[in-house]
Amino acid sequence: MSLLEEQPNTKQYWRSLDELAEKPAFQDWMSREFPTAASELPDGLSRRRWMQLMGASLALGGIAGCRWEAEEFAPFTVRPQNRMPGEKQYFSTMWEHAGYARPLTVTSIDGRPIKIEGNTEHPATEGATNSWDQALVLSMYDPDRTTGLFERSRRKTVSRSWDEFDRMLEQRVAGHREQQGSGLAIIHEASSSPTRQRLLKEFRKRMPEAFICELDPARVHTAKAAASKAFGRDVRVQRHFDKARIIACFDADPFQEDADSAQMIQGWSKSRSPDGAWMNRLYCVESRVSLTGSNADHRLPTRSSDILATLVDLEILITAAEAKPVKRPSEDAPKRDQVLAALADDLVRHRGSSILMAGAHQSADVHTAIHRLNQRLDNFGSTLSLLPVESHESVQVTTLIESVQSGQVTTLVLLDCNPVYGSEHSGAFRKTLQMIPMAIHLGTHRNETARLCHWHVPMSHPLESWQDGRTHDGTITVGQPLIAPLFDGLSPIELLGKMLGLKQQSADLVRGTLVGLDNRFRTEKEWRRVIHDGFVADSASQPLSEIRFTSSLQQGVRTADLSDPGDIEIVITHSEATYDGRFANNGWMQETPNSISKLTWDNAALMSPATARHLLVQHGEIVQIEFSGGSVDVPVFELPGVAANSIQLALGYGRTAAGHVGGLTDEGIGPVGVDVSGLLPVDGSQILTGATVTPTGRMWKLATTQDHFAIDTVGLEAIGQRVGELIRTGTISEYREHPDFAEHSGPHHPPLESLWDERPYDGHKWGMAIDLNKCIGCNACMVACQSENNVPIVGKEQVLGGREMHWIRNDRYFSGDPEDPQVDHQPVTCHHCENAPCEQVCPVAATVHSDEGLNDMVYNRCVGTRYCANNCPYKVRRFNFLDYNKQLEEPEGELLQLMINPEVTVRSRGVMEKCTYCVQRIQDGKIDAKNERRSLSDGDVKTACQEACPASAIVFGDLNDPDSAVAAAHASDRSYGMLSELNTRPRTKYLAKIRNPHPWLEDRSPHARGHNGTHSQTLTEDAHHKDAASALLPIIEGH
Amino acid sequence: MATVTIADIDNTVIDPATRPGVMTGRNSPGSVTEQVASLAERSRPSTAWKAAFAISVSATLMFFSLVGYLIATGVGVWGNNAPVFWGWPIVNFVFWVGIGHAGTLISAILFLFRQNWRTSINRFAEAMTIFAVTCAGIFPAIHIGRVWFVYWLAPVPNSLAMWPNFRSPLLWDVFAVTAYATTSALFWYLGMLPDLATLRDRATTKLRRMAYGIAALGWNGSSQQWRLFEKAYLLLAALATPLVLSVHTIVSFDFATSQMPGWHTTIFPPYFVAGAVFSGFAMVITLMVPARAFFGLKNLVTLRHLENMCKVVLATGMMVGYAYGIEFFIAWYGGNQYEQFAFINRALGPYWWAYWTMVSCNVLAPQLFWFKGVRTTPWAMVAICVFVNVGMWFERFVITVTSLSRDFLPSSWGYFVPTPVDILMFLGSFGLFFTLFLLFCRYLPMVAMAEVKSVMPHGEAH
Repeated sequence: MSLLEEQPNTKQYWRSLDELAEKPAFQDWMSREFPTAASELPDGLSRRRWMQLMGASLALGGIAGCRWEAEEFAPFTVRPQNRMPGEKQYFSTMWEHAGYARPLTVTSIDGRPIKIEGNTEHPATEGATNSWDQALVLSMYDPDRTTGLFERSRRKTVSRSWDEFDRMLEQRVAGHREQQGSGLAIIHEASSSPTRQRLLKEFRKRMPEAFICELDPARVHTAKAAASKAFGRDVRVQRHFDKARIIACFDADPFQEDADSAQMIQGWSKSRSPDGAWMNRLYCVESRVSLTGSNADHRLPTRSSDILATLVDLEILITAAEAKPVKRPSEDAPKRDQVLAALADDLVRHRGSSILMAGAHQSADVHTAIHRLNQRLDNFGSTLSLLPVESHESVQVTTLIESVQSGQVTTLVLLDCNPVYGSEHSGAFRKTLQMIPMAIHLGTHRNETARLCHWHVPMSHPLESWQDGRTHDGTITVGQPLIAPLFDGLSPIELLGKMLGLKQQSADLVRGTLVGLDNRFRTEKEWRRVIHDGFVADSASQPLSEIRFTSSLQQGVRTADLSDPGDIEIVITHSEATYDGRFANNGWMQETPNSISKLTWDNAALMSPATARHLLVQHGEIVQIEFSGGSVDVPVFELPGVAANSIQLALGYGRTAAGHVGGLTDEGIGPVGVDVSGLLPVDGSQILTGATVTPTGRMWKLATTQDHFAIDTVGLEAIGQRVGELIRTGTISEYREHPDFAEHSGPHHPPLESLWDERPYDGHKWGMAIDLNKCIGCNACMVACQSENNVPIVGKEQVLGGREMHWIRNDRYFSGDPEDPQVDHQPVTCHHCENAPCEQVCPVAATVHSDEGLNDMVYNRCVGTRYCANNCPYKVRRFNFLDYNKQLEEPEGELLQLMINPEVTVRSRGVMEKCTYCVQRIQDGKIDAKNERRSLSDGDVKTACQEACPASAIVFGDLNDPDSAVAAAHASDRSYGMLSELNTRPRTKYLAKIRNPHPWLEDRSPHARGHNGTHSQTLTEDAHHKDAASALLPIIEGH
Repeated sequence: MATVTIADIDNTVIDPATRPGVMTGRNSPGSVTEQVASLAERSRPSTAWKAAFAISVSATLMFFSLVGYLIATGVGVWGNNAPVFWGWPIVNFVFWVGIGHAGTLISAILFLFRQNWRTSINRFAEAMTIFAVTCAGIFPAIHIGRVWFVYWLAPVPNSLAMWPNFRSPLLWDVFAVTAYATTSALFWYLGMLPDLATLRDRATTKLRRMAYGIAALGWNGSSQQWRLFEKAYLLLAALATPLVLSVHTIVSFDFATSQMPGWHTTIFPPYFVAGAVFSGFAMVITLMVPARAFFGLKNLVTLRHLENMCKVVLATGMMVGYAYGIEFFIAWYGGNQYEQFAFINRALGPYWWAYWTMVSCNVLAPQLFWFKGVRTTPWAMVAICVFVNVGMWFERFVITVTSLSRDFLPSSWGYFVPTPVDILMFLGSFGLFFTLFLLFCRYLPMVAMAEVKSVMPHGEAH
């Protein structure tokens, strides 16, 4: 059974401290550690003291025993295999998010995982990441993680040892086992893990009477049920965005909220090239301004409650278009009619190569209508495939709650979940936990649920444990631990194994699953290969070859009326930062500005400026929203583009036991944002009509990293003038007519001459290109950069004061009608100007040019005059106004120290910092090339932002290498330098954004602003004419 | 006016037939000495002085405590942010440097132009200059992120083998301000030598004799010493004259050589110098009017002196007003959208209130000096000059903060809000200024006795 016994060295492959960890003295220390420290703990111990006492257990990550004298220090007199001090090592692993595996490649230095990348080999994601992937490493080193076992009795909470826990669990489970599992219930979140499913199956077999309840944190149950109904079996829809010429999203945000967002972004960006044979066209009909919607060619703000009616109308138009080609609607027709006519025309023309999709929070009727339309347009089998889903038995949450309340269930095991917070069942759960005789919670944090459970068991982080899962396409993905659990702890499969009485270690549990699938994994070679690759090759689910459409598909709603436009609609969706609240204690996520609103450290009631006027509220004013008994007080955020009378709320805020970042009311740390789950009705629907909104008159400070919309007239006019030059855009037809329009869209200026001598760059000449056509503004680059470059978070107050530290930021501009604006995203980093304005003004020469053209920042020379930042036209320089890394020096910061990338200086107070083009990675690449006696080739050096980008919008490399991707990008017709009229000679160039509007709508959409004001002679009169209208900017009073 | 005192005699009407003197009343060398020296010889200061001193010393202490807090905590205690990386400290620096212009201008340039009326006020103005430059010098030093490395700005040979960056205007600024401070201090001290010797000679206590004796550097009034003194004074005046023009020119380079819209303008050097003289004279008037009343110096510092200074204020005020206008014209004429926006934004953007405060204080208020009645009414001129100084502070605020708050990329626009530390430190710098000034009034000759005597109408008193 135990393969590990056969191959004792298996784990050495991944865990460099294995030898140390298996030494008897070490193990003795580990087992002694907890009881000893625990017995020293009086009640009401301060957190600081606690951390000091626990400090030694933090030390596992490569510094075992360096804290207490009594420890046995184990120098590597014989260096373990594969271990090079200070060398980066890369390991494949994974974690699960929204019920699916996310394949990762983790960089580890000296046994410490410090940076996360996507697994580029993995067939599903090809290396794409999102900001949550990037932020995972911070969650692992979170000082608020549970450090030990706790048992809560009536009055107080006491620490327990693992032995005590094991005894208790054994007794408890044994009791239930005798009764076929009756009285026992397991709650866990939906998971794709084959091992977990295998163990649960085993569990069901042994204890058929036990309840297993699967939670749905991704809130996809409606969509799932609709799909099952439509296709007669449990399926999931795989969308091939790369094959779709027309993509129509109805209240969906495929770039942000779906488990397979990364794949969809990749697919979209692949067929988004204006130089390709064809370019896709994206329509979005939505109430919020989603990330996807902000990138749409045509976006139609529509209330979520009107999506069904819109689909019905669309279907009528499609029927008409199938009969005979639709006529172009008149220019005076409402935008809705025009867009839907164009969409119908497009869909009929591109039969079999379109995708329609709806957001998971939409009703079953909407999903049915979407499936029917996709079927009608022959999209199944071409752009859409259906993957079989294994169905698991799961009791309903409500059933479980009832069973507990009726005394049927006496022991509840909660695996890594937090049902007491943030869902429609939270209130009921809270009561339930107070009634149940025994609740055991496994989790990384003592969250809201853990605090009500009798036992809390620390969980190992995904980067500390063996695990498996399936990506959305079904590929089996395997995760290995990068480090021994910092605080000890069990993974969910280990706890399940314990409950089943299995003696296997977690690696064997995972391996056992694989062996069950394929015998070849019995061989060490195959097993090692899987661990090395991080996935089982060719294990993706086979799409259903025959798709059966049930009759229910045709029975869907055929008529629907638009809702009363005066009704206020509330739409509640996941947060882009904290998801359902699980990232609330992750400072990186809290401080990453929302991609559209640029709001940090808060959620808000997003509504359009007109809606705010209608409700007589203003930006920042707290409103009371009431719906069927629930009530929340939320600040208003005026966001252009939200559908009229639609209010958008985000889940995932207002946590009371997240930790010192996200809120910990027990220690007087207020929650971040507001928990809006109280508004959710019991059926879980997220679109609520008939809510009342009452202004309270109280104001709340909302910390945005960019000005909110209510800016003064003078400023708005200037933004209108500038955006076209900063973000140069054109339509595909304009681009084909004038490929070099971007270059001519800038301002006219006299010939540029430098005061200084030009430098030759004979060796490398580093440069970057950012393709605005691919960039969707998702912020993965921001978090990646934060992780790679030890960029500190500064907190809400400092963000309010305009002192956020991000080295790369995503600028977002609105233009056009405030109720229906055009949105543009533009990532901005240091441009590494050849003629850098910052360098000339530094009195101490702390920022200087390297002979490879990097604008280097010498931290230890910097005295902090901040003149460089004033003179930087791109405003990419960040100043350490205060000691933002102070936390690292405090006892609880010791854990965070482990996360620091040792190749990047941690900046002290009083110095300037900024993007370095990841100079440490350049050096690494150069050293590697030199060691291998070869020249550096294109792609050897990738910046963190480039590597993280799911859309491959960023390329970096040597401009002196004519074959490099970046040289090609710089030579592209679309390339332009932002503000290059200042003769800064930026090394970062942008590639102009090309939109692909439907020809009918081309004249009327606010695109093609690249040439307003300052003109280009190559453009036609017609183009100029268009600008006059599109440059019109919204004027909002007040500030 | 029921009775006519000597102080009230109007010497502001220049009748060529009588040529009214620079001073009024019946002054003799002896009376001037007695009048000025006795002020520094009073054994006990007046209650008013003590009260004023107590307030300013408290403000000074607060100032230095805040400096300590700042250094211990970081420049984040101020309201500075991104994009307004320079906030009040730089505004205060430029403000104080500007005020420090009047003294040396009066001493040096008016000396070279043989403007005899300067003698009554030059000591006073020079002292003010030095104290203002002291206040000014503190701000850029504590403004940097790592104060403990401030010496890296100086071109001293060091183990790092690093020179400062000579391309940086901030470095020029260091040279300009230190040169100006040194020259002004030397000039002031040198001019004071004969008067210090007078105080030494009149001293009644040993301590005073010792102190003034050391300070007087052995001055005995021999013709040889007078010959050397006058030569040195002339040379220093010649040296200080270009510095008056250069220091604010170079301060303006901090802004003008950058590429920030609203800063990047060639008009800055003359505009800054005019503004500096403007604010400097306004400050001299603000201090002189109460001081001359309080210390009974109306016969030496006459209405004519004040009126002349008002004229300078009026003239420089109009230069400043012209600069405001021409800036707008050039922004429009230059055709650079960023430059155009910078000026429209100043006048109509979020900081419109600062801009219009500046214009009304600096351009409109001094226009009242066209009226002779205003020019010769001390309280009216003080009121106007206070407005001028408020306006000049706002001018620097407008230039620094409004330009920075909205530059090229709208995504990075911001709004600056000062913190209490900002405000208290600015007030604290006034405390330091007035502390030094009150000490000067208490212990040093406020009027250049020797120089005044040299321009007195000889004979009348003999």
